[in-house]
Amino acid sequence: MIRKLLVCLLVLTLFACGQKDSKNSGKEESFKKRDIKGAVTGDAFVESSLGDATGLIMNITSDSASHSVTSKIYNGLVEYDKDLNIVGDLARSWDITEGGKVIVFHLRKDVKWHDGKPFTAKDVEFTYKFMIDPKTPTSYDADFRLVKSFDVLDDYTVKVTYGEPYAPALISWSMSVLPSHLLEGQDVAKSPLLRKPVGTGPYKFLEWKAGESITLVANNDYFKGRPYLDRYIFRIIPDTATTFLELLNGAIDTMGLTPLQWTKQTDTNPRFTSQYDKYQYLSFGYSYIGYNLAKPMFADKRVRQALSYATPKEDIIKGIMFGLADVATGPFKPGTIWYNPNVKKYEYNVEKAKALLEEAGYKPGKDGIMAKDGKKLEFELMTNQGNTVRQSICEVMQKSWEKIGVKVNIRVLEWATFINEYINKQKFDAVVMGWNITNDPDMYDVWHSSNCGGQKLNFVCYKNSELDKLIIEGRKEFDPEKRKVFYHKAQEILAEDQPYTFLYVPQALVTISKRFHEVSPAPAGISYNQDDWWVKKEDQKYNYQQ
Amino acid sequence: MAGSRLLKKAKGSYLLYSGLIIVVFFIVLAVFAPLIATHDPTAINFDEVFLPPSSVHFFGTDELGRDVFSRCVYGSRISLFVGFVAVGISLAIGVLLGLLAGYIGGITDLIIMRIVDIMLCFPSFFLILAVIAFLSPSVFNVMAIIGLTGWMGVTRLIRAEVLSVRTRDYITAARVQGVSGVKIMLKHILPNVMTPVFVTATLGIAGAILTESSLSFLGLGVQPPTPSWGNILTAGKDNIMFAWWLSMFPGLAIFITVMGYNLLGEGLRDVLDPKN
Repeated sequence: MIRKLLVCLLVLTLFACGQKDSKNSGKEESFKKRDIKGAVTGDAFVESSLGDATGLIMNITSDSASHSVTSKIYNGLVEYDKDLNIVGDLARSWDITEGGKVIVFHLRKDVKWHDGKPFTAKDVEFTYKFMIDPKTPTSYDADFRLVKSFDVLDDYTVKVTYGEPYAPALISWSMSVLPSHLLEGQDVAKSPLLRKPVGTGPYKFLEWKAGESITLVANNDYFKGRPYLDRYIFRIIPDTATTFLELLNGAIDTMGLTPLQWTKQTDTNPRFTSQYDKYQYLSFGYSYIGYNLAKPMFADKRVRQALSYATPKEDIIKGIMFGLADVATGPFKPGTIWYNPNVKKYEYNVEKAKALLEEAGYKPGKDGIMAKDGKKLEFELMTNQGNTVRQSICEVMQKSWEKIGVKVNIRVLEWATFINEYINKQKFDAVVMGWNITNDPDMYDVWHSSNCGGQKLNFVCYKNSELDKLIIEGRKEFDPEKRKVFYHKAQEILAEDQPYTFLYVPQALVTISKRFHEVSPAPAGISYNQDDWWVKKEDQKYNYQQ
Repeated sequence: MAGSRLLKKAKGSYLLYSGLIIVVFFIVLAVFAPLIATHDPTAINFDEVFLPPSSVHFFGTDELGRDVFSRCVYGSRISLFVGFVAVGISLAIGVLLGLLAGYIGGITDLIIMRIVDIMLCFPSFFLILAVIAFLSPSVFNVMAIIGLTGWMGVTRLIRAEVLSVRTRDYITAARVQGVSGVKIMLKHILPNVMTPVFVTATLGIAGAILTESSLSFLGLGVQPPTPSWGNILTAGKDNIMFAWWLSMFPGLAIFITVMGYNLLGEGLRDVLDPKN
């Protein structure tokens, strides 16, 4: 789950490192200026975070607060561009040979660390060794463990060899590259760089007031050109209601809104409309109801199909999400090439659901609850506390499934208890949860049968040998057009089997202060070109002298 | 004779009357909830979410389009039910232990009262939260736990009363006649110590209702779809900026009910206090 989170964060934030140089990536020149017409430097961008960062080395932290900050400070070898193509970041270009087993990265020669030292292949080698060191407290080592050998060919060329072709390999090198000259031979977990990071990215670290704020300042020597905004400030505000009030006061520049805030509390509020623009795009995630397939009750796919037919997805989207979501049919994001729109859809149909239950051998009992061999179709639907949308979904499902004679008891649990005591120990019947969607379509972690149970991500324990084969084959294919075939087929299998009832893909609801120019949502989200954002002199709010 | 004196005193007590009216009102509401409610309290209607109060929905509708008035009416059932049962449990335990401690005395008294002291050491709300975390939250668990953590005051009260009553001549007389200890406790002592217990019980119901609401507010009390004032309030909290009716009406209901029981308790105390 953490890896999923990381990949998702990479998607949402790494793009801050500007992307207009994709055409120039072959040239050796270092340009300090960006080429936005009329843009001027100055001002600051203020973002809020619910929690304080735990440390500023992304490779060994897993909280989203830390990742938002570090994504501005470090670069990986590659990144996604605004259309989710993989493009070079610290790597100028790369060659994939031997059927995908070997990647040779050609690194940029114009990159300097924030302390002025040059970036070289040594840093990449150090980062790789650091990631696979068993002593390194990281959750993101799995991709790097598949590397068979790592060779430094010269100061600006590295060669990575895999045991067998591994399609997600390339994007795994979007991991932050760490400065070897500062960390070599050090205990990184205790390094001062955790509090005062040194990276290659668009912003340099300035100060960290624990529990209050983290401030970064523009890197004049950034190899893709200095960002226009002087400073990037993270304010720690531990409560969403307070965050929203701060937003109305103009004290922060961006916030992710809830569907409720979006529809009911913004357009009618002049304090909001005068200061902010709203942006909406389909987010990288989906919500679902997962069934514990180890329970005999859910073993029959007709039961799961019946439950899906009796799920009013459209009503949930209309009523709870205020229409700000798309129906989900599988684990991929609609609109991407991996998404297969032609799978079995479960449009709300109570009669069909009832028929399926009867076909599976269930008959209504005296109390109206469906039963088979004396066993009632009654189970617990769990979710985590603090997410009112999920709790509302539980209540809707309770009421909807009642109509087909299924009795549901709702249980809402505190997050850590929910995950550690119930999900990881497989002590649940059904859950309302969500996954992030990664750009790479690899489904191994969540759907491969080898990841069933015991703290793994296939916690519903879905096992399908046909799907397993598709997942393994899909990992070996590099050409997206050929690769998508595996995942389109996989979605058909999932749609037929319904190990989850896929609910919806929510809209990301972002608000950003009107003073910033160049803001435009793209498939990659909204912050991919943040280094290009700029503010007119007369609109600038904050002053800073470097 | 004594009865008519009490009645006379009661006549002048506005506290007692206002409390009584409120309490009776909410009991009637709870008993006749299906007749009074205008809608099914759990019926979801996505066409009518967040409607403000109107002649159709007296208290407006919530985030799932359910009628808040009907939910509040049904919520009164839970509140009263929890209140009475929880206090019943603590009375049963409290009275029993109090009688034993006061009448037998000696080592029994010592042990019981130390248990009371120990139980009083725990901040009761956190004790309840901890226990609920182990058991699953449900109406029955909530009632049982509130009852099981609320008997200490009753025990102390009963014990003190028993200590003063047991030295009276009629008890000595009963004992000399060879009446068994159990009979003396139940027949001769208990009726004479119950007066203060009524007052405590009434105030206890107010406390239990408040505790249940707090637990439900935190999501650890009554679980959906059963409406309770506490869990209606939870939904209200998130939407308070634009849907005030969601927090206001269940809040008022809790406030008025708790005040009713407190007034009734205070009134009873005034009336029953021989010094007045």
